[in-house]
Amino acid sequence: MDTLAAMLAWLAAAERWQGADGIPVRLAEHLAIALPSVLAAALVALPAGAWIGHTGRHATVAINVAGLGRAIPSYAVLAIVLPISLRLSPEWGLSVIPTFTAMTLLAIPPILVGTYAGLRGVDPEVVEAARGLGLTERQILLGVELPLALAGLAGGLRTASVQVVATATLGAVVAYGGLGRYIIDGIARNEDDRLLGGVLLVAGLAILVELAFALVQRALVPRGLRAARVRAR
Amino acid sequence: MRLSRTLALGASLLVLVSACATGGSSKPTIKIGSDGFYESQIVAELYAQVLENAGYKVERSLGLGARKVTSPAIESGQIDLKPEYLGSGLGYYDKTRPSGDPAANATALGEILKAKGGGISVLAWSPGEDTNAFVVRKETAELYKLARMSDLAAVQDKLTWGLPPECETNALCAGALKDAYQISWPPRSLKLLGACGSEIAAALEGKAVDIGELCSTQPIIGSSRVGLVALADDKATQPAENIAPIVRADFLAKLSAADRTAFGALLDAVSAKLTTEALVQLGVAHEVDKQDVADIARAFLKDLGLIK
Amino acid sequence: MIADQPLLDLGWIGAHLDDIALRTLQHLGLSAVAVGLGFALAFALATWAVRHRRARALIVALAGIVYTIPSLALFAALVPFTGLSLLTAEIPLVLYTQLILVRSILTGFDAAPAEVLEAADALGYTRRGRFVAVELPIAVPMIVAGLRLASVSTIGLVMIVTLIGNNFGGLGLFIKEGITSFFPTKVYVGAALSVLLAVGADLALARLERRLAPWAAARRAALAPAALAALVRPAPAA
Repeated sequence: MDTLAAMLAWLAAAERWQGADGIPVRLAEHLAIALPSVLAAALVALPAGAWIGHTGRHATVAINVAGLGRAIPSYAVLAIVLPISLRLSPEWGLSVIPTFTAMTLLAIPPILVGTYAGLRGVDPEVVEAARGLGLTERQILLGVELPLALAGLAGGLRTASVQVVATATLGAVVAYGGLGRYIIDGIARNEDDRLLGGVLLVAGLAILVELAFALVQRALVPRGLRAARVRAR
Repeated sequence: MRLSRTLALGASLLVLVSACATGGSSKPTIKIGSDGFYESQIVAELYAQVLENAGYKVERSLGLGARKVTSPAIESGQIDLKPEYLGSGLGYYDKTRPSGDPAANATALGEILKAKGGGISVLAWSPGEDTNAFVVRKETAELYKLARMSDLAAVQDKLTWGLPPECETNALCAGALKDAYQISWPPRSLKLLGACGSEIAAALEGKAVDIGELCSTQPIIGSSRVGLVALADDKATQPAENIAPIVRADFLAKLSAADRTAFGALLDAVSAKLTTEALVQLGVAHEVDKQDVADIARAFLKDLGLIK
Repeated sequence: MIADQPLLDLGWIGAHLDDIALRTLQHLGLSAVAVGLGFALAFALATWAVRHRRARALIVALAGIVYTIPSLALFAALVPFTGLSLLTAEIPLVLYTQLILVRSILTGFDAAPAEVLEAADALGYTRRGRFVAVELPIAVPMIVAGLRLASVSTIGLVMIVTLIGNNFGGLGLFIKEGITSFFPTKVYVGAALSVLLAVGADLALARLERRLAPWAAARRAALAPAALAALVRPAPAA
């Protein structure tokens, strides 16, 4: 319990909340790499997931290709990207590009799978009705299927975000900041209060992200669909 | 089903690999561990092969990542013996005590370890050492006329520094830079990168940092394509990092008095041959020639007649 | 990186085929044990949570929090108690599978439509009987989908065991050695085989699902996407 007390003292200390190594800055840095990674993953995975969900074809291939980003350990992705990104830009190629790449690859599979699943879950009769009304495939996808698939989509983004938040700590290995800095530095300096404080902050951020998504999802799912999920047990 | 057969094979291989072998010889089984760093693994393998050659049964646990794992491992008896860098080992337990004197470091480390895990002894250390080296690219050295650490003060703000995360709280890193070399802390441009790692080496080669901390026996200093230069530690600030075997007292207690002396002598014989040049050679065999750790150790010991 | 190296040192690969095979098997074994034990744990937790509504949200949240704990911190805490053993290696791997598995199993249990459950009750099934004969079979596609995701994830995570030494081997050891000794070939061999292992595991599990739930063949088209959606959407709390 000493360690717990030490960690709380570390978190509460005044210097913890100021300066370049303070929690506000590290938190901002953490979000600054996590958010763009999830967005970039969404930029790739949403259209891809929407396409395979809408047409119902090539799903296995797409999902397995997406899975590559998970089967390769994120640390390995860092190591593979590093020499290449350094050649592109000594300034950004050390910390930002490798971490961003690893996180984006991590985020793609859940978003792809969630979007695909959300679309496949849309009632085919609704789609047929829309087709019968003369809507084009594009109009159907964008105007009918995606709104109904929103829950699956949001779920994919949610899982991706939590996992990116948890794993972005890896960036500290290549000199990035973020909350991972406390963990890596705590290990290097043998300062358990710093290490545990960092762990707590990352877990806390992950919980906040979960809650934020839970609220967004509740707001997004149309009331009609929500009612259909209540069942006798 | 093919899958279940493969799983069974894999599982049994796993059991084989991690199984505890009970010794059949008269000498007790010894568990030897090492840090993750290649040099640490090679030296541990040297100890292992020399002891096996003398009839000991050895269980290896090499490559135990960070100190966060190796220290609990030896203190709780998961391993009995490991190679230790005097300066870093001492610094892990007490940041203020490491010095440039190996004898002082060994004594201090011995005192601290006597109280750990039922007692851990520090045996004879190597003549050679692998200490911290501050390294720049050749072009940087030529541009700013850098040959010694003292040359850095004048151009410190023009450089991006790559220093380990523990530097700030380490008297022999930030402390030495501030006191001996007049480097203000923190440097104007600083990237935190673990010493001796592939990331700092890549950062140096790729010009993301201009000066970084490597290990003095690392072959990349000599064989990098961009040309790297280690600056001389002219004020002798870096800790003595000679390598000594550290061994648990409860293992030594299992040996007869005669065996205990012989045990020490075997390891001393290995340590005596670990000159700085030898350490560099071992590094080259591993990093440049890509030989396996066990083969490197065997060749080294055979050449010196330390094993048959 | 030391530049005068070929991208792929075929000579090294040729000379180390047996090591490569061994480490691949070790990797497979480590992953299989983690997913197997993880599944057992997640299943137990899920069957318990499905009947205790308040515990359910807590368990799902805990699984998420556990995922954020760095493996080195876990290992450092475990080593003094469980040593440098297979148990120490597997505990974090098993815990990391819970995030995906608990969610997927719980949502699998939720998949039985109300009408089917009511019909089973009307037919006189006991609570347990209904669970075994009705809810469980319907849950199979989603459970297997969760196993697929967890397997691929675990295969990528197994590298963490290198933090407690070389003895467990695995493809992650090639990757670690390749990185720390400036030897890209090892990194590529480790990464490429990890990917192949993951694809193989995924396809094998897909085939397993078809064998376990043949009756769902027609409904699979409808169920599978719901299953996948459930994985990425958290199980609805009480």
